[in-house]
Amino acid sequence: MSDRNTTGESSTKSDGGTVIADNTLVARWEEIREREATVVGVTAICVAIFPWLFSRAPVISDVLLGYQSLATLILIWGIFAVGFDLLLGYTGLLSFGHAAFWGGAAYAAGIVANTVSADPIVMVVAGTAFAVLLAWVLGFLSLRRGGIYFSILTLAFAQMLYYMSAAPLAFLTGGENGLTGISVTPLFGVFHLESDLPSVAGTLIGNWMYLFVGVIAVLSVAAAYRILNSPYGMVFRAIRENEQRAEFVGLNVWRYKLMAFIISGAFAGIAGSLFTIHGSYVPLQSLYWTESGEIVIMTVLGGTASLFGPILGAGLYLYVENIVSGVQQLTIPFTDIVLINDFGTYWHLLLGLVFLVVIWVAPRGIWGAVSDLRALVRRLAGGDRR
Amino acid sequence: MSIVSELAVILLNGLQQGAIYVLLAVGLSIILGTLKFVNFAHGALYLVGTYAGLFIALDVTLSSGKLQEWGYGEFGLGWGFLAALILVPLFVFAVGLLMERFLARSFYDRPDTDQILVTFGLAIVVQELFRVLFGSNSLPFTQPEYILSVIPVSGPMQLPIVGSFPRWRLWVIAITAVLVGIVYLLVEHTDFGLVVRAGTRDAEMVRLLGIKISRPYLVVFGIGAALAGVAGVVGGPLNVVNPTVGMNILVPAFLTVVIGGVGTITGAVVGGLIIGLTQATLIGLPSVTIASFTLNFSPWSQVGLYAIAAIILLVRPQGIFGNEEVAP
Repeated sequence: MSDRNTTGESSTKSDGGTVIADNTLVARWEEIREREATVVGVTAICVAIFPWLFSRAPVISDVLLGYQSLATLILIWGIFAVGFDLLLGYTGLLSFGHAAFWGGAAYAAGIVANTVSADPIVMVVAGTAFAVLLAWVLGFLSLRRGGIYFSILTLAFAQMLYYMSAAPLAFLTGGENGLTGISVTPLFGVFHLESDLPSVAGTLIGNWMYLFVGVIAVLSVAAAYRILNSPYGMVFRAIRENEQRAEFVGLNVWRYKLMAFIISGAFAGIAGSLFTIHGSYVPLQSLYWTESGEIVIMTVLGGTASLFGPILGAGLYLYVENIVSGVQQLTIPFTDIVLINDFGTYWHLLLGLVFLVVIWVAPRGIWGAVSDLRALVRRLAGGDRR
Repeated sequence: MSIVSELAVILLNGLQQGAIYVLLAVGLSIILGTLKFVNFAHGALYLVGTYAGLFIALDVTLSSGKLQEWGYGEFGLGWGFLAALILVPLFVFAVGLLMERFLARSFYDRPDTDQILVTFGLAIVVQELFRVLFGSNSLPFTQPEYILSVIPVSGPMQLPIVGSFPRWRLWVIAITAVLVGIVYLLVEHTDFGLVVRAGTRDAEMVRLLGIKISRPYLVVFGIGAALAGVAGVVGGPLNVVNPTVGMNILVPAFLTVVIGGVGTITGAVVGGLIIGLTQATLIGLPSVTIASFTLNFSPWSQVGLYAIAAIILLVRPQGIFGNEEVAP
């Protein structure tokens, strides 16, 4: 086995004999790549080593300038993005109102924490339940019209929630100041979320907060994978490809669309509740349409209709927003040539331009480029496979 | 003040508030109806109109932004408001033509979601460009005093039943009525309008008859843009002027279109009035005290707008004047 491995690694620059060995390796990987256990396992490993790579690894983290709390935030938005892509990428519905579920769940979790119980699990369950109910109602209203009207209506209803929590419901939500005074109790009454994990786990994963979010993130990816590869998820794709045909086959398209919307809202709800736990604070901003816009940008930049593209997009967006934007002078690496002065002012403008270009020429996003590259490598490596 | 005059004030305020939405919605609606193009950057055109109007009409001193850092902190032509009212629509018309030619046209054959995404991206770019150049602070857009130094347009005005009412608001209503009237006549009663409407029904047939449909499309986009520019100029002195106004006004404008029904100018007008009146009514109503519980309506003004929209769409999903043919 180890023999095959070494030949496989050197195969790209050696003769045809080893290419065949490589082929079997590639073939084996292709065979297990799509399995649920592989997807979930790889996700779990990536989630587990990510904070170490990002904020504590010797050289990499010095270059990346990452920190633990941002790693947690990236995972939270990643869950949100996976759910959003379920709707946009797989069902073909562009919602501009997902801030309603994100922010609504964040408020619900916060209010439950302040009044009933501040147990993290209770908060997540309450927030998600609220998001699901909300998605049911808003989906029922918005899905009365298809296409662009759906986008406009979701945007409108989310804005309605924003204005409701801004003034009329200020006694519940804290109005302009946001919801404050949330103090999350330890997980299972024992583990303080802010405290570090013991020994090796502490170095690798960091604190209990990340572990909590990470476990939920892996479960979310597993759930999304299971949904997408079930017959039920196939119907979502059928609706995206040709709604009329799906209707003619006898499927109740409206019901499937509503369900896709609710599932997507549930993911947003999980993420929103985790956001409250992570920050111990809910800003009014979390219901504003800019949050909906952000999740749209993340998902599209990362690549729609893929499971990991949106997570990548979320990570990249937050990384640029929180770290790169703090760099005042952007230079070409390892030289002194200054690309942009005062980068912090321009980053949002540049992001907008990048987004515009991606939509225009490469609607499949970063993940699309990655899969093209993979296809290219496979063709080069196994061109004479028969 | 009597009940009647209070109601009249609410009515006029509603008309004025609705007028801005109508200007935006008519443009959005004819572009959506004829070109089948969703323009999330329509608010950006409003933004361009507001800043261009400010630049032409007044002298402005910037307190932040890159222009100020680069030493162009004081800008503006100071040609007066009438000049702005004439030049800005022309300028935004040109912007609209460029946008149709270089952005929208390549997206006519792509899915709706791509259209929304690309115009959303453009809206962000425009907004951020203005933020970088002019800073994110609100700029003062003072109301004009006189037009042609003879006709007074600011200050209060005595009206028969209403009593005193801000003169500028009446002007906004009048300007809107005239412009929308012109566009209505153009679309419904000219040969140009005939081609546009025929293109809405069946673009391919129009092309087979030897009419170059792409040119009327270009003009329709330009007209829609110009109306948004006018909305920016007349609405500028009534609202704050900062880079986010475009995106903030986009949502009610779209709601107006959806309520009224896509592709009809009448629908856009009625939708705008409904939204404007709802808002003005909720702001204008006095608070009601039932037992020890005081109900104040004005915080609900923004919410009421969406609630009305939700109710209308539940009853008539295609909008008040919409017909199912146009709506997908």
